[in-house]
Amino acid sequence: MNELLVTCTGVVKRYGNKPALSGVNLELGRGRIVGLLGPNGSGKTTLIKILCGLLQPTEGAVLIDGQTVGPYTKSVISYLPDRMYFADWMKATDLFDLFADFYKDFDKARAMSMCASLGVTPSDKLKTMSKGTKEKVQLVLVMARKAQLYLLDEPIAGVDPAARDFILGTILTNYNEAGTVLISTHLISDVERVLDEAIFLKDGQITLHDTVDNIREREGKSVDGLFREIFRARNYEGGAF
Amino acid sequence: MFGKLLKYDFRSMFKQFAFIWPAALVLALVNHFTMSAMTTVNGDGILGTSTAGTTTAGIAMLVYVAILLAMFITAVVFTIQRFYKGVLGDEGYLMHTLPVRPWQLIGSKLLCAVVTTFLSVVVAVLSILVIMPWSWRDINAVFRAFGYLFSHWNMETTQAMWGLLELLLLMLVSFATGFLQLYVSMSIGHLFSKNRVALSVVAFIVINALMVALMNAVLPWMEHVIVSVFAETSGMWPYHRAVWTIIGVDFIIAAVYFAGTEYILRRKLNLE
Repeated sequence: MNELLVTCTGVVKRYGNKPALSGVNLELGRGRIVGLLGPNGSGKTTLIKILCGLLQPTEGAVLIDGQTVGPYTKSVISYLPDRMYFADWMKATDLFDLFADFYKDFDKARAMSMCASLGVTPSDKLKTMSKGTKEKVQLVLVMARKAQLYLLDEPIAGVDPAARDFILGTILTNYNEAGTVLISTHLISDVERVLDEAIFLKDGQITLHDTVDNIREREGKSVDGLFREIFRARNYEGGAF
Repeated sequence: MFGKLLKYDFRSMFKQFAFIWPAALVLALVNHFTMSAMTTVNGDGILGTSTAGTTTAGIAMLVYVAILLAMFITAVVFTIQRFYKGVLGDEGYLMHTLPVRPWQLIGSKLLCAVVTTFLSVVVAVLSILVIMPWSWRDINAVFRAFGYLFSHWNMETTQAMWGLLELLLLMLVSFATGFLQLYVSMSIGHLFSKNRVALSVVAFIVINALMVALMNAVLPWMEHVIVSVFAETSGMWPYHRAVWTIIGVDFIIAAVYFAGTEYILRRKLNLE
């Protein structure tokens, strides 16, 4: 087992001529909860998609547990995308069977008990479920795995504040503590209390990566406060007001 | 892992065709009876037709033809949709993060599509046999004929069987080539950020035009090969050579389409 779980070296991603990531260098250890923080369009989703193999970087290298992205790294990553990714005709239990088939670390019994506590009936067809219930099913699929790396892309973006706490609670009580959770979000105040580390992504570059304790100590303010300061400052730089 | 992918692809296929395949066969059976009811025998033993019987038979035949058409349209739509939605659409977020390689995703979808189309052909052929006027005596005769064939097996029967199997293989390879052309066209269309469906259609048309041009270029050569083979030998060999040449050419084209699709999924994947 490699000591570093994630290593990105000089990762660049361009869509045509438009850069989405411009030289990302990142190292993540194990057993951490890390916030990937940045405003919309800063490259959070692009970075996560590269880590889970949905995108190929234009330049640079990515290693997960010492391996290049491929079937092995996919088997140790549990990814929550920012959209629904299953066929409607299936039932939640069909998806549990699929996950149990493909991922050795998927715990079906735990998935069923998570459904019970989240108020989801797993024998219902997904077609008949509300959007919120489908999101819960997707969260159950991702968190019922004992993965090494959880990549959660905006897990709390579309829900009300009460549901945010509920989702974060589900993540915290279910993740594999030997693994690392990377949560991308722009709703920092909601996640700050659970984070060990924070990464600030700005215009496709990492401008800050440190432990939350260090940030608070050094800056004398919360991560949320620092984030607002950094990203608000940019808006006023032009002097348009 | 490939076996597991196949399991889920086949499951979604059977879900789609669970109604239409049995329906085609049942309608064929209905047609079998309405057709025989159409002809009546009068008191003098002369054959005639009844108007009511003809109308019923006509309607039953219309429904049967409609369901057969629907079956083949469903097969093509199913093939396109399982790849477009399942690999390049939102479901792709799940499929491409499973611990499998892109060629396995394509292979599983392709095998499932070929089997689906083949089974649809089998259902169509069976349904035509069901419609035809037969009696139990006819079926008995067919079995006896097969029995005779197997008990008097010789070199020629072997050759004929090989010939049939080759035709079957040719049919499967052509299905695969056609589907892979669809896959590679959709993959090319997905490289663009806008109008992906329209550009997939454009890619399909362009590839088709290129293939026609290529075929026109190699046709004289192929004709030459086949004609010279016919001139040289006799018996079944010219036939075998001709069929295998076409299978070979089809297979090469299929391999190029497969490699192109695999390259795009592996290196250029860009889901919406």
